[in-house]
Amino acid sequence: MKRTKHINLEMMRKDPEKRFLQRHLALGMAVATLAGCSNQEEVSIVNSVAECAANTELNIGECEAAYQKALDEAERTGPKYNSNAQCETEFGPGQCTQSRSGGIFMPMMTGFMVGQMLSGNNRYRGSSFNPVYRYNRPNSSLHNRIMTADGTVIGTSGQRSYRVDKSTMKAKPTATRTISRGGFGSVASAKSNWGGGRSSSWGG
Amino acid sequence: MLRIPIKERPDWEAKAEEFGFKFHSMHGERYWDERAYYQFSLQQIERDIEAPTEDVHQMCLAVVEKVIADDELMHRFCIPQSHWGFIRNSWLNGDPSLYSRLDFAYSGTGHAKLYENNADTPTSTYESGFWQWLWLQDNVDSGLLPRHADQFNSLQEKLINRFKDLQYLTPDRELHFSCCKDTEEDRGTVQYLEDCAKAAGINTKFVYVEDIGRDQKGNFSDLQEQVVTWMFKLYPWEFMFREEFGGLLGTNNLRWLEPPWKSIISNKALLPLLWKMFPKHPNLLPAFFEDELHLADASDSMVKKPIFAREGANITILRNKAEVASSSGPYGSEGYIYQATHMLPKFAEKYTLIGSWLVDDEAAGISVREDSGPITQDMSRYLPHIIL
Repeated sequence: MKRTKHINLEMMRKDPEKRFLQRHLALGMAVATLAGCSNQEEVSIVNSVAECAANTELNIGECEAAYQKALDEAERTGPKYNSNAQCETEFGPGQCTQSRSGGIFMPMMTGFMVGQMLSGNNRYRGSSFNPVYRYNRPNSSLHNRIMTADGTVIGTSGQRSYRVDKSTMKAKPTATRTISRGGFGSVASAKSNWGGGRSSSWGG
Repeated sequence: MLRIPIKERPDWEAKAEEFGFKFHSMHGERYWDERAYYQFSLQQIERDIEAPTEDVHQMCLAVVEKVIADDELMHRFCIPQSHWGFIRNSWLNGDPSLYSRLDFAYSGTGHAKLYENNADTPTSTYESGFWQWLWLQDNVDSGLLPRHADQFNSLQEKLINRFKDLQYLTPDRELHFSCCKDTEEDRGTVQYLEDCAKAAGINTKFVYVEDIGRDQKGNFSDLQEQVVTWMFKLYPWEFMFREEFGGLLGTNNLRWLEPPWKSIISNKALLPLLWKMFPKHPNLLPAFFEDELHLADASDSMVKKPIFAREGANITILRNKAEVASSSGPYGSEGYIYQATHMLPKFAEKYTLIGSWLVDDEAAGISVREDSGPITQDMSRYLPHIIL
């Protein structure tokens, strides 16, 4: 057989409603999907070294390291804004601060995630102790939700523990603040003026 | 190799809607055309197309190896000197490739002749990998085509497997897909590749080429302020080198698909160099740089092609130095190469071109395009094929 043996047609079907879903929020809001139990994990959210030591299997030394790691991850992956006011619109008054590198405003982390299944040598591996944030915008459906840096909601604020998709525990992509856009595309734009702007493809 | 008329599936337009194939007609004209199909024998496919495709690809890699190490050739290929390091590093690091499409003139007998290599931004991927596959499935199910009819088309399967390899080679990165705004065809092609990447388990995102941003450190960013670390772009390298953000290429930690070294073989200067390195190879046509035209002996008929061009634009067919046919377009400022004329075969008064797919270095299927003129362009119709 010289052709693809099987194609999952369900995967190929397009729902026009969902295809070009616009994201209105500054954060990429993605609601954690309900997956099978094997893909999920119970995590604690702790907001200090003391709380970490009291509520998780980690000892004080490990909690200090985990807290530091969470702060570093917050700096690298956290939502970034040009002004304190923009940041406070989404995370509430007094909840934002300047980033360590300066110039950018970021929400302060509400706490960080510690898996409850951590044990033995695996205590650190595979866990980046991701920082979490409490979204605080009273008219939003996301108000009072706890989310990771990329906007994945893990639950409503105030729970003792959260059941999350394992992917939530992985390190998040680096977030930044863009200083300019439009630095690619000018050649195509110039060439598309040829032929009355009829450009069906830049491939071949 | 035969061209055989067949009834259209009565519901094909509804199916196209269902599966999100939006560019089956463009500018009011039919692009996908299932009123006929091409039929090949297994020997034609395996001996005349599949094997030569993999051979020619290896020859193209030999060209990259040579050009990378030769400043004069880098100039001949019109690669801006500022980007030589970027391209050389990608080759020396062994940056992996996803796919390519070689275009051949093939009539069913004799040797398939290479027209060009779409190594950087090949399109018609969706029509080939999925849509013509579905066409065969439907026609076998309805009894119009025999159950043992096959197709040279393992494109989707190979793309998904290749994406699995690429994820292994590029761990812990999300893959951003990108193309220009206002082109439904490119958006559809990129969506298809994104679907294949997702099927391979890769986390994907999309950002339009024009929306790509940069931060203070020179990283590229998407509209959600995420740093881009791995990107598939359906946008030519030779454009990017010359644009405002081009100077940042190679300065940030970003993996590219296709890799930068593909800019050497998506370039028409490939053709004269192939002929120099592999003279008289049965799958090659004599080809020459403009200043080496005296080397062309008896071939009085040549095709003039711009070093950089897309979709059959700015091609001129010359016979005894007189123009026989030409296509217009916005390309050609970087110069031209000349390739011996070898006209496309005609079936039912249509000129037929074979696009032969590669995923990494494996032949992965074909696409058939036909046009009423001898120069295949972006509106040339796409017809399905079978092996029987």
